[in-house]
Amino acid sequence: MPSDKNTSLRRALSIASLGADVAGSYLGYALQHAFLGETQRKAKLKSTHTRAARRMRDEMQSLRGAAMKLGQTLSLQTGTLPDETLAELAALQMRAPGMHPSLVRVQIKRSLGHEPEEIFKQFAPEPFAAASLGQVHHAVTHEGERVAVKVQYPGIRQAVANDFRLFRTLSKPAQASGHLTKLAIDEIEEQILAETDYWREAENIDFFRAHLGPLSFVKVPKVFSKYSSDKVLTMSLMRGQHLDDFLAHRPTQKTRNELGANLFDLFYFQVLKVESLHADPHWGNYLFNENGNISLVDFGCVKTLLPESAAYLRSVFLYPGSTHSTDFRRLLESYYRAVGRKLLRDTREALIRFADNFYRKVYPPDQDKDEPFDFGDNAFLEHYLKESKNLFKTKGVLPELIFMGRAEMGLYQTLHRLRARVHTSRIVRKYLKDAN
Amino acid sequence: MREDTHDWRALAMAAKVKSQQEHVSRPTRKLATRNRAAARKRPTGRRDRNKQAIRNRIVKAALSLFQTKGFDGTTTKAIARKAGIAEGTVFNYFRTKEDIALYFFEQEVAHAVAAVRDNPRLRRAPLEEKLFSLVQNQLEYLAPYERFIGAALLHALKPTSALGPFSHRAMELRHRYLAFVEDLIDESIPKQKQNPLAFLAPEVFWIYYLGTLLYWLYDSSEGKQNTLAFLDRSLTIGVTLLRKGRR
Repeated sequence: MPSDKNTSLRRALSIASLGADVAGSYLGYALQHAFLGETQRKAKLKSTHTRAARRMRDEMQSLRGAAMKLGQTLSLQTGTLPDETLAELAALQMRAPGMHPSLVRVQIKRSLGHEPEEIFKQFAPEPFAAASLGQVHHAVTHEGERVAVKVQYPGIRQAVANDFRLFRTLSKPAQASGHLTKLAIDEIEEQILAETDYWREAENIDFFRAHLGPLSFVKVPKVFSKYSSDKVLTMSLMRGQHLDDFLAHRPTQKTRNELGANLFDLFYFQVLKVESLHADPHWGNYLFNENGNISLVDFGCVKTLLPESAAYLRSVFLYPGSTHSTDFRRLLESYYRAVGRKLLRDTREALIRFADNFYRKVYPPDQDKDEPFDFGDNAFLEHYLKESKNLFKTKGVLPELIFMGRAEMGLYQTLHRLRARVHTSRIVRKYLKDAN
Repeated sequence: MREDTHDWRALAMAAKVKSQQEHVSRPTRKLATRNRAAARKRPTGRRDRNKQAIRNRIVKAALSLFQTKGFDGTTTKAIARKAGIAEGTVFNYFRTKEDIALYFFEQEVAHAVAAVRDNPRLRRAPLEEKLFSLVQNQLEYLAPYERFIGAALLHALKPTSALGPFSHRAMELRHRYLAFVEDLIDESIPKQKQNPLAFLAPEVFWIYYLGTLLYWLYDSSEGKQNTLAFLDRSLTIGVTLLRKGRR
């Protein structure tokens, strides 16, 4: 098939040039190394990392395929990249190239059988937002409802599959060393491919609309199946501002606290109650409102937890005893056994260290100490990154928790940017109590 | 060979007389009433329309046969039978089946050019979008006859073929098409802002178009989505190359 070859080749070239460039940048550092003193060397290393990261992000954005999501996920998970790189990559979104109106028209006509003007009373030819794998247009239905129409870039599914074929080859060394297991790649590929099916996303939206009902501050769009297909998704238009715009209006600490608490509440309601998670932490997927309401707009990446995982998380969160007790150790071991993996000693130690150095600080288990946690503090993110990396180095992380970890990281980053103070344990306790 | 040609001519003459008789004897009533006023003003109008209708019938029959029986496996006799007219009548309109194919391609280009020219939405669109729309309209026109297009491309490789690049009519068609492409380029990028090699662009575009056609024919992705992505990305790169001072 000439088509496959062509796209693969272009992506291969692009990825190859990315490799050459990052290597070049690190090579620059190595050459300067001999001429610089210790402090300068450290600073230089930092700037090399940042530059390399930026270069990588730019390259990936020009590739704009699944490579972006892959980069994003791996950056959070492999722990092989320095913190600066992680921070840069976290801002990535799975963007596709922009489509001009003629291409959008063809996509809609092929998917829904009619021109956009026939389907809608009004249709804006220019997009108002980029979405994962496509772009979003304003439209008004014949019934007068304002909607957002998400249109997928053509051939994206194939592009994703190509990227993974290539990536599996390129990452052979990492696979051989055990830093990246085949299962982990499978998990990532499955999730990303799932995002290319807008029908599936529509099902996710319906699911969350039904299950997030108890949280009055969360708004989930309504799907218009009549105007949707696997490549076009029409849903009600949501209110709110993206994080950057929201912060630009200098919201009060009270508003930020309220939003932070709501975000936090939303996350743990999903993990502990719904056992399914809106798992794409990208900021573009949340819209914020002054009254504390949060609108969710992108449901491409949803992780449904295994019942074992949900039970495990319920048992370890706010664990009252010592993390060094036999009982805690058993909890960890039995979870690993339940999902068919052996808990290595290093991994166990890393998990315990993670609990001590991060979770116990951010989520104090002691009920009497009911102080809000200040996410504006820089140290907590550093601790999280450090412990995540330590954990990943032990090669014992379960693929099952990759996407949940990614979403958690995204949550912390958003809370950090909001500089919110949140009663973390109180919220988690609420859902633990309900469950028990 | 010469005798052959004579035979053709004789046949065609005979067919012409016959077809004219047919025209007179079978006017469509509806058409006649609707256009009575116009016909009075232009006495040749109805005849032209009738001729056009027959031409279209022949082309439609031929394409359907090319698609099912293959280009080589289709005879003029079969075309005539399918169109419901005498074989001689076919010769009155088209000398060979290559001519029918060529006529179809002329229609295809005319359709695509008009679709871009007459679309008010495209008036202010960037060059890559106009070119995308042009090729897209061509492919959409060709889509129902995919099998035939593949065969025609192969057929065009024969040096003596009327569809081939050296036949006068095919060359004329290509010139018309590329002149339009050149117009599109010039109205989007002023001459002084074009890359010094931009004068070659129309010729390059022709090769690109043929390549796209091949890509499209062999595109097995669902709904030929890959061709859309290929068109979009390659045109963006191509148009960037056309501008002066860009990479």
